[in-house]
Amino acid sequence: MRRLVARSVYMLVIVAVSSVAVFYAIRLSGGDAVAAVIQPGSASLEAREQLRELWGLNLPIHEQYFDYMGRLLRGDLGHSLTNSTPIVDMLVIHGRHSLILGVAALLIVFGLGIPLGILASLRRNGVVDASIMTLSVGGMAIPNFWLALLAVWLFASTLHWLPSAGCCGPKQLVMPAFVLAAEGLALTVRMTRSAMLESLDRDFVRTLRSGGLSEVRVIGRHVLRNAMIPLVSLAGLRIGQIVGYALVVETIFGWPGLGQVLVNAVLRRDYPVAQFFSLVLVALVILGNWAADLGYQFANPRLRAARS
Amino acid sequence: MTDNGGQASGGDQPVTAPLLSIDGLRTMVSSRRESFDVVRGLSLDIYANEVLCLVGESGCGKSITALSIMRLLPTPPVRVREGTIRFRGEDLLSVSGKRMRSIRADAISMIFQDPLTSLDPVFTVGEVIVEVIRAHRDMNKEDARRLAGDALTKVGLPDPISQLDSYPHQLSGGMRQRVMIAMALVLDPDILIADEPTTALDVTVQAQILDQLVTEQRERNMAMLLITHDLAVVAAVADRVAVMYAGEIVEQAPVDELFEDPRHPYTQGLLRALPKVSTTRRRLDPIPGLVPSLQMMPPGCAFAPRCPHALDRCWTEQPELAADQDGRVFRCFNPQPFAG
Repeated sequence: MRRLVARSVYMLVIVAVSSVAVFYAIRLSGGDAVAAVIQPGSASLEAREQLRELWGLNLPIHEQYFDYMGRLLRGDLGHSLTNSTPIVDMLVIHGRHSLILGVAALLIVFGLGIPLGILASLRRNGVVDASIMTLSVGGMAIPNFWLALLAVWLFASTLHWLPSAGCCGPKQLVMPAFVLAAEGLALTVRMTRSAMLESLDRDFVRTLRSGGLSEVRVIGRHVLRNAMIPLVSLAGLRIGQIVGYALVVETIFGWPGLGQVLVNAVLRRDYPVAQFFSLVLVALVILGNWAADLGYQFANPRLRAARS
Repeated sequence: MTDNGGQASGGDQPVTAPLLSIDGLRTMVSSRRESFDVVRGLSLDIYANEVLCLVGESGCGKSITALSIMRLLPTPPVRVREGTIRFRGEDLLSVSGKRMRSIRADAISMIFQDPLTSLDPVFTVGEVIVEVIRAHRDMNKEDARRLAGDALTKVGLPDPISQLDSYPHQLSGGMRQRVMIAMALVLDPDILIADEPTTALDVTVQAQILDQLVTEQRERNMAMLLITHDLAVVAAVADRVAVMYAGEIVEQAPVDELFEDPRHPYTQGLLRALPKVSTTRRRLDPIPGLVPSLQMMPPGCAFAPRCPHALDRCWTEQPELAADQDGRVFRCFNPQPFAG
C-alpha cells in the first residue's frame, strides 16, 4: 500500500516537472504564434501587439506558466489559437481516434506477440521458431516511418488491398495499427520466447511433471504464468512506445488522432494546443508505466504479499 | 492403488518378487561433439516395504537413475539408451506418455533436493496439490482441497490448513520440503524416490525430515529409494544399500553387513573416509585419486586407478556384479577384508 502511494506521488511529480519542461520547450523553440497565424504584411504592428497581449504572450514565461496551469487545474483547457476550437472538443474528437488506433496496436502487440512467442519457444530451434525470430528482428530493426512507407507502397500502391491513408473504417485502421505495433510486437515475441524458455528450464517444472500433470497444464498454466511476470513489468514501456510512435504513424497515414493534432499544433506554434496534448502524452506514458507496475506486483506473489 | 490391468499385485507375490526392477539400464548424454553413458548397465531391484539407499559421490549417476525411472530426464541431451525398468511387470520405458503420467505421483512419486526451486513460486501450495490430485482422481475441488489439507497435516506442517493458501516463498526450507513430501504422498504411492531430500536443509531440519520420511514409509508400507551421499543417513534409515561408482553399482548389501563388512574397495574407502569423532585418530582418510571421466572410461574396472589392491587383470577386464559364496553381491576380482 505504501509503495502504491509512493508511486502515485512520484507520478504526479513527474507530470508537474514535465509540464514545466513542455511549456518552456515550446516557447523557446523559436517561431512566433502570431506570425504563424497572421499572414506576413497583412496586419499592422499594433494589431500584432494587441494579439500578443490578448494571448498573454507579452508576460514573462513563468507568469504565463502559472496563469496557464491555474486555468488548467480549474478545468479550462483554453482553445486553439489558429481556429478557436475549444481544446476540450479536440480532445474528445481526436482522442477517440487515437484511442481506437492505440488499443488496436496494443491488441496486436500482446494478442499476437504473446502467442507467437509461446509458439516459438515450444518449437525451439525449428523452422517455425526461426521464421518468427527472423521476422521479429525485422520488426525491431526497421524504423516505423520507413516501414509505413514500405507498407503503403506494397499494400496500397502495388497490391491495392488497402487505402494508403484516411480514417476511420477498419480498412484504414489496418496499416497504421500494424506499423504502430511493429516494434512492440517484435519485442514482445522475443521476450515471451525467452521468458518461456527460462521458465521451462526451472526445477519446479520437473516437480509438476513428477506429479503426473499433463504438458498442457504444466506449460499452459505454470510455465506461462511464470513467464508473464517479466512481460507485465515491461508492458509500460510498450504503452509508452505506442504513444510516442503515434505522432509519426498518425501523421504518415493521415489518421486524425492526438498525435497528428500535436504535430500540426507544434508546426503552427499553436501553444495552448501543443502544450496540452504534449502533457496528455506524458501523462499517458506515465500512466502506462504505473499500470504495468501495479500489474507486476499483482502477477508476482512475492510482491503481492509484501504489499499487504 | 494403481490400476495395473490384470497384473498380479505385490501382495499376492512371493516376498522375493521385486516391486520395481531395473535391468541393464544405460542412460547416455549426447551432444553434437560427443556422447557417453552416465549410467552404465545398472541393475537394481526395489522390494515392497523396504528402504533402499543408493549411495555414491556426486556425478556417479544416482539422480540420473532416479530420473530414468520417472522418465523425467532432460531429453535432449540425456536419454535412456538401453535396458528395462519393470514396475509390477510393466516396462516403464516403453509405456505411453499418458500411462506414464498416470503412474507418476499415483504409483511412483519423487521428491527433489532443493525445495526452494522445486515449487512453483506463483501458485499456492494448495493449488498445486489439488491440481496433482485432480490429475489422477475424479474429485471436485473441495474434496481435493480437503485431501491436500490432510496430506499437509500428516507430514507435520504447523497450521496445515491455512498453509494451503501459502506461497512457497512464505515457507521455510524445511516446511517446503514437507510440502513436497505431502504432494508426493497425497495419492499414497507404492514407491517414493527421494533424491537427496535433506541435502539443501539445515542440519537440525535434516533429521526431522528424514524422520518424517521414515515414519511415512513405515505407516504406508511403501518402498523408498533414498538417494544420498551421506553415509550417516544411510546408517540411520536404510534396510538395504546399493553403492554406485561411475555409473554402475559396485556393491549391494543389507545395511548392517555393508557397514560391518564392506567387500568392495570403494565401499571400504567410503567407510574409511568417514570422520570418526570418538576415536583417537582424528585424521581424515580420503580415497586417493579422482573418479574417472565418463567420457574416457578405463577398459577394466572403473575403480582400478584408485584401488590399493588392483591386480593386472583389473586394468583390462570388467568384473561382474555377482554374489560370492557368502551371498555377498559386489563387483571385484580381488576383495580384501576390511580393516576399519
